[in-house]
Amino acid sequence: MTSAPTIATPTQHPAVERIRTLWPAWGWSLVGTLVVLVAVIGVSGGSPLQPLSQALTLVPYLVLVAIGQMLVITLGPGNIDVSVGTNVSMASYASVAVGAAAGPGAGLAAAVGAGLAAAACSVIAILVLRIPPIIATLATSLIVSSATLMLADANRSGAPAELRSFVNARVLGVPLTAVLVAILTVAVVIVLRRTRFGLAVVATGQNSVAAAKAGLPTRTVTGVTYLISGALAGLAGGLLAAFISPSTSLGTSYLLDSVAVVVIGGTLIAGGRPVPVGVWTGALFFVLLSGLLNLLGLSVGAQNILKGLLVVLVVVISSAATGTGRSTVRRLRASLTLPGTTTKQRNNTDG
Amino acid sequence: MTTALERPRGASALPGAATRIRTGAVQGSPAVLSIVAMIAIVILAAVIQPGVLSMNGITLMLTAAVPLVLATQAQMIIMAVGDIDLGVGALLGLVTVIAATVLTTSPALGLAMLAGIVVVYALLGFIIQRRGVPSIIITLGMSFVWLGLGLELLPTPGGQTPEWLSAIGQWRPELIPAPLVLIAVATVVAWLIARRSRFGTRLRALGSQPATLEKLGWSLVRTRMAAYAVAAVLLILAGLVMASQTRSGDVNSAGNFALMTIAAVILGGGNFAGGRAFPVGAAFGAITLGLITVLLSLVSLPSSFQSAAQGLIVLAVLAGRVITERFIRS
Repeated sequence: MTSAPTIATPTQHPAVERIRTLWPAWGWSLVGTLVVLVAVIGVSGGSPLQPLSQALTLVPYLVLVAIGQMLVITLGPGNIDVSVGTNVSMASYASVAVGAAAGPGAGLAAAVGAGLAAAACSVIAILVLRIPPIIATLATSLIVSSATLMLADANRSGAPAELRSFVNARVLGVPLTAVLVAILTVAVVIVLRRTRFGLAVVATGQNSVAAAKAGLPTRTVTGVTYLISGALAGLAGGLLAAFISPSTSLGTSYLLDSVAVVVIGGTLIAGGRPVPVGVWTGALFFVLLSGLLNLLGLSVGAQNILKGLLVVLVVVISSAATGTGRSTVRRLRASLTLPGTTTKQRNNTDG
Repeated sequence: MTTALERPRGASALPGAATRIRTGAVQGSPAVLSIVAMIAIVILAAVIQPGVLSMNGITLMLTAAVPLVLATQAQMIIMAVGDIDLGVGALLGLVTVIAATVLTTSPALGLAMLAGIVVVYALLGFIIQRRGVPSIIITLGMSFVWLGLGLELLPTPGGQTPEWLSAIGQWRPELIPAPLVLIAVATVVAWLIARRSRFGTRLRALGSQPATLEKLGWSLVRTRMAAYAVAAVLLILAGLVMASQTRSGDVNSAGNFALMTIAAVILGGGNFAGGRAFPVGAAFGAITLGLITVLLSLVSLPSSFQSAAQGLIVLAVLAGRVITERFIRS
């Protein structure tokens, strides 16, 4: 399987190991982020921190959704959560509806609960009815969008003031939400590296049959992972309700954006290798790029074209990434110049 | 996975009709479930509104299903080689936009743009095969390119399709409902491509046994490129049919087609692993899904419930398929 992990083993040549530690999976996205940041500064002419701090107000929500998406994608081929966008929209309404009646804390809990409920629907379809995840989550997103419309009809209130001041709060100039989401990211890194559940997620993604044979509860792991994705999307929606405002199209862009950010960040799309840090660099890159395109005065259509081409380009360049920048470039060149001679069987296709 | 149905027996290259029907009855033809679901929906609709069984009723019910059937055949070909196309909806929208703008004002340029889409799809096949990148992400990314192009050409729905295209949409034969004719033609063409041609065999081999296909001397790259190009032609036809019905362009007109086509292929016996192509089953799957929308509008469900009902029905039908497959195997 090409989805084998690229973590350097002690038996490897020291030179290889050195390059790998020098070039992490999220390296390309960091390079992209810096390039875009320089371009933004060049165009706007402001201080370097200003666009960065502006981007950091939007990035946490994208990171929340994308971390869930990353965990789901890590489960292996065919696993993707396409209901995150509608989950975000639904949770934004749940957050303000409950928040107006029972306080902002309860509102956020309701948003997370709404995300969990939607994910539970997907999990039942995937595990009990054995429907492929992409269809299961698409069907869930249809159900969720109906729920969103009903909540939107019933609810006209805005987000509570406490929640609004919470999402706009800053610690030493850095948005509080960014700090909290960063702490969450660290927690996810620890869970993935140190806990039984995290290792089981990675093992399932590398080879679900082997993981099941080794006695891992792959079905439970799959279910819990989708629930986490739903809960995080719900949380993002609950917070966005206060940061922007609840709307039926609030989460629409989060589907492609979350997948793109995960892929750009270096997480293997074939599963088995999550890169939580890459979610941050990928999200920063994406948000900064949107800002740059706005700054350049591009139309919505042109922005979509650029975004789409960029995702394709990044996937194509990084697809054979083994963790070393040099080998990525070499493989790209090899694949473009020698057609037909080194065709390998594709293993990392989507299920 | 190739089923027993597809394996040549002895000297004859293909099993006869009698053998097919017998094995189909014993093993459960892939199309059975979608046919049963379709009949159930038609009966339900006829009970609620008897008028649907008239010539006009059938035409109205099936009109929306024609582009869906065409797009589903394209999705079936993509899924036969083991890929998924998430850009179907946006591409169809773009084709309606091209049809309603450039194709009317400068037909040559419009045709060149449509040909360009086929070239881009062949290129996608090349990239996906050569780089081993997941088709889901590539087509998801491309869906934004299609959407962006559509918005650039026509920011708000509108435009005017050329006369000849609108004439196709207005075509109403005397004896048989027009959508039925178009659906039958699309299905037969897809069946000839996917099940009767050598190319179709290579397609399915690429999905199930790429190593064998390569050992036999066929280029995997060229096969995948051809598969994508054929799918692109079918998608363009689907978009043109859609434009001929609405006589205008809207890049968002086929927003949910990615889900619908994938679900229709699965409903018709296809799978995600590749190697299976059932054009007839896929067509029935697409008609079933198209009719669900009609049925939901007949029972006068509140509009906010419509998509939930659609999602639940898709889940129920697919669950039915999983259960019948398990029942047949045991």
